[in-house]
Amino acid sequence: MLKPKNDLLQGTLALLVLKTLACGPLHGYGITLYIQMVSKDFLRVEEGSLYPALHRMEQDGWVSAEWGLSENNRRARFYRLTAKGHRQLAEEEKNWERLTQAVAHVLSFA
Amino acid sequence: MSLLARLRSMLRRNRLDQDLDEELRSHLEMRAADNLAAGMPPEQARYEAQKRFGNTTLLKQDAREVDIVRWLDEAARDFRHALRMLQRSPGFTTVAVLTLALGIGANTAIFSVIDAVLLRPLPYHEPDQLVMVWENNSQHPNPHNTVSPPNFLDWQNRNTVFSSMAYMFDGRDNLTGNGDPQEVVVQDVSANFFSLLGVSLLLGPGFTPENGQAGHDNVVILGYGIWKERFAGDPAIVGKSIVLNGHPQTVVGVAPQNFQWFIKDGSLTSAKPQMWSPFVFPQSWSNHNDMGRFITVVARLKPGANRSQAQTQMTAIASQLEHEYPDADGHWGVNVVSLRDQISGELRPALLVLFGAVAFVLLIACANVSSLLLARAASREREMAIRTAIGASRWRIARQLLMESLLLALIGGGIGVALAVWGTNALLAASPRNLLDMHSVSMDLPVLSFALAATLLAGLLFGFLPSYISAHSRISETLKEGGRGTSSANRRAFARNAFVVAQLGLALVLLTGSGLLIRSFVRLIGVDPGFDTGHLLTFKVSLPRAKYGKDPLCLAFFQQLLARLSVVPGVRSATMESFPPLAGLGAATAVHLLGQPSLALSDLPVTNVQVVGSNYFNTMNIPLRAGRLFNAQELAQERHVTIINQAFADKYLHGLNPLGQKAAIYMKSLSENELQPSEIIGVVGDVHQLGLDTTPEPTVYWPHPELVMSGMTILVRTANDPLSIASAARTALQQLDPELPLAGVATMDQLLADSLSRSRFTMLLLGIFSAVALVLAAVGIYGLIAYSVTQRTQELGIRIALGAQRRDVLRLVLAQGARLTLLGVAIGVFAALVLSRLLATLLFNVSATDPLTFAGVAALLAVVALLACFIPARRATRVDPIVALRYE
Repeated sequence: MLKPKNDLLQGTLALLVLKTLACGPLHGYGITLYIQMVSKDFLRVEEGSLYPALHRMEQDGWVSAEWGLSENNRRARFYRLTAKGHRQLAEEEKNWERLTQAVAHVLSFA
Repeated sequence: MSLLARLRSMLRRNRLDQDLDEELRSHLEMRAADNLAAGMPPEQARYEAQKRFGNTTLLKQDAREVDIVRWLDEAARDFRHALRMLQRSPGFTTVAVLTLALGIGANTAIFSVIDAVLLRPLPYHEPDQLVMVWENNSQHPNPHNTVSPPNFLDWQNRNTVFSSMAYMFDGRDNLTGNGDPQEVVVQDVSANFFSLLGVSLLLGPGFTPENGQAGHDNVVILGYGIWKERFAGDPAIVGKSIVLNGHPQTVVGVAPQNFQWFIKDGSLTSAKPQMWSPFVFPQSWSNHNDMGRFITVVARLKPGANRSQAQTQMTAIASQLEHEYPDADGHWGVNVVSLRDQISGELRPALLVLFGAVAFVLLIACANVSSLLLARAASREREMAIRTAIGASRWRIARQLLMESLLLALIGGGIGVALAVWGTNALLAASPRNLLDMHSVSMDLPVLSFALAATLLAGLLFGFLPSYISAHSRISETLKEGGRGTSSANRRAFARNAFVVAQLGLALVLLTGSGLLIRSFVRLIGVDPGFDTGHLLTFKVSLPRAKYGKDPLCLAFFQQLLARLSVVPGVRSATMESFPPLAGLGAATAVHLLGQPSLALSDLPVTNVQVVGSNYFNTMNIPLRAGRLFNAQELAQERHVTIINQAFADKYLHGLNPLGQKAAIYMKSLSENELQPSEIIGVVGDVHQLGLDTTPEPTVYWPHPELVMSGMTILVRTANDPLSIASAARTALQQLDPELPLAGVATMDQLLADSLSRSRFTMLLLGIFSAVALVLAAVGIYGLIAYSVTQRTQELGIRIALGAQRRDVLRLVLAQGARLTLLGVAIGVFAALVLSRLLATLLFNVSATDPLTFAGVAALLAVVALLACFIPARRATRVDPIVALRYE
């Protein structure tokens, strides 16, 4: 299992969560499952990072949260992307693209 | 994050907490359910879910990053952590805490005195509206000259700025009945005196306006002290009668304990009044040309009026009076002084200098502790780096270090306040009785607030730089380099050097200040008072006018007293004079030398007048410079002769032979035809009448018959300890009149010491503070060099292994100290040149930039600093190369 370095995850975790929520409202546990599944088990989000990140994003107004019932009737807190969150997602996707392109250039140059 | 959001999140804290708890619980349950579904046994399914989460409490705290309560939680955690860190290094903690306690304690002690003397409101009604009104002669400047009664009456009638004015003058009266006769200082005042000040009496109704009319003034208000001592605090004293100078007076009140009214400048007795009695001006006192200046005036400004308006108007009134009465009021102006300035004026410069000095001591202490923290921070760099690596923010690290500093400061401050309580009381106990009119200083709210503010400020001051540097160190560098040679290590080294230089500079400023005061004091005690102060007993005898109203009675009494005293065993000779030397007292008047052109009275030269008894000059050992002394006839009868001092001859006779000259001395009466000029028969050496720091003024001496005075200071030259004959002197006095008290018994050496007390006290305190500063600065540079020797052990080992001699190593290490010392001394000399000017008013015969003092203290500081460097430098020469190289 790849365990990315702290600072790498710091930037990318927000992007991953925003992207995940872009598909629809989801609770925290659901987010971890989704990322794990979509990345084909390559990325595993640590709970210890996820919840602080979610709360920060809520403070920043990127996501809003409300209580609801999960698929199997458990009370869970559902996070939903706000308009500000959508803009942030677009921004972060662009940044990520630039970063990966730049890294790719460097790799192919050598 | 805005304050509003922070507040809101604080209010929502409980809700947030519950939400978070529930959210995390639901997450755990979902995970556990899935694990179960994947086939794990239930126990393991739950454990696995928990494990992935780690510590849920911690997580919750991280998620609430924004919460102010969390901030406080963390502060508390930092606090506990700081406490543990300090406990772990008791040596460091002790040194730092003691250093700070010293600094904060000294500041608090001096501030408590400043608060009491300069800041606390005076115990009167609207004290800011109270002013003293003095006269002030442009020819003979004395800003606080007492006032003539007719001028007072005119001021009172003409001014529009004062709501009321009161006058006072003090004298010594004999209090008789119930117990030994006792001399008391009684202040005669206008009947409105207490109501003007707005003092509410402890007991009794006080003076009524009726007491201000002739015939109704036989009442008295007792001071708290005399009420307690003489009348045993009798609660029923009001209405009772006491006997003053043989006259019964009815007690109408007792002043409260905090009523410590004493205006030294106007005092005729130089002593604090013990009771007050109304005094009504006789009709004749409104005659301008027949009255001297001897009353002290206090006035209350009308609401809305201020001191400078009063000054303007009173100056205008004074110039009217100057025109109307040129003889009496020529050259006389008015000086309006706020009561606060009047009372604290002479202490203010010394107190402010001392306050500056303790502030410097605190700064030096802060620099020391800061330097210690920097040294510690270097060794803790790895700890910090690891904390940063595992996610602590810079702010978090800085905060933790600041918390340690604040904790140090608080402990230091607490001990400091305890030190201050003890120190202030020691200070007051050691302070001369005529300097600070206080017995204890209370640690009240303003003083404690000051101590707290000083503590927090100190904590931030010495904690800021070390935590800033630690918080901004680069982790990767630190972990790689093992804490040496990193940029933060360089910054620390620079900061510690800067601190040492600053400390040395500050210490030099303080040392210069105390050096100047010491030199000034040495000059002062080197002044020849003009007479022999050793083995000389002094006391005062005042004859009540009721009994000794006629001059011959008075004259005969004192002659008999001196005759009796001179045969007491152990007495060499006895004499008397009207005003004792060194006490700041004297009488002065105009003098006209008959050989010189006649001038208006107010333009005539001024001379002090001293009335003396037989054997005066011999007893005092005042040398005769020319002519002869008074003979027996002149001492028994009025023969119109006088002896002048050298200053009189130099200033007014300009080389003429003084002997045989005639001088009209305007002391007895102003009417020309009654004035019999005195012939100058001798010239004697100068005496420092007003104090060692004042140049002797022209003085004429009259034998007692020329001007019979009823109150005299007796001077007895003894073979042995002067105080041992005090009781024999009392017996001699009371054999003549059992109702007379022996007052103000002191030796002349005591009076001399009292006259020097303020200079000595200021010098002593500043000396103590600068010694502390010197020690702290020495410890500072010692610590730095010792640390740097430890850091350079390896380098020094290599040097020694390569053949460096002890001498070379010594020079290497000392050179580092010498550079810092030189820089510190240079900066200090420059700062001292600027700051020592503030001392000017406290210096006597020494320039504030006295080169000898500057050179001396610079040398002293340099030697002490280099000695402090020498200890670690010697250690450096003993470095064993083998051990040093194995160090890593």
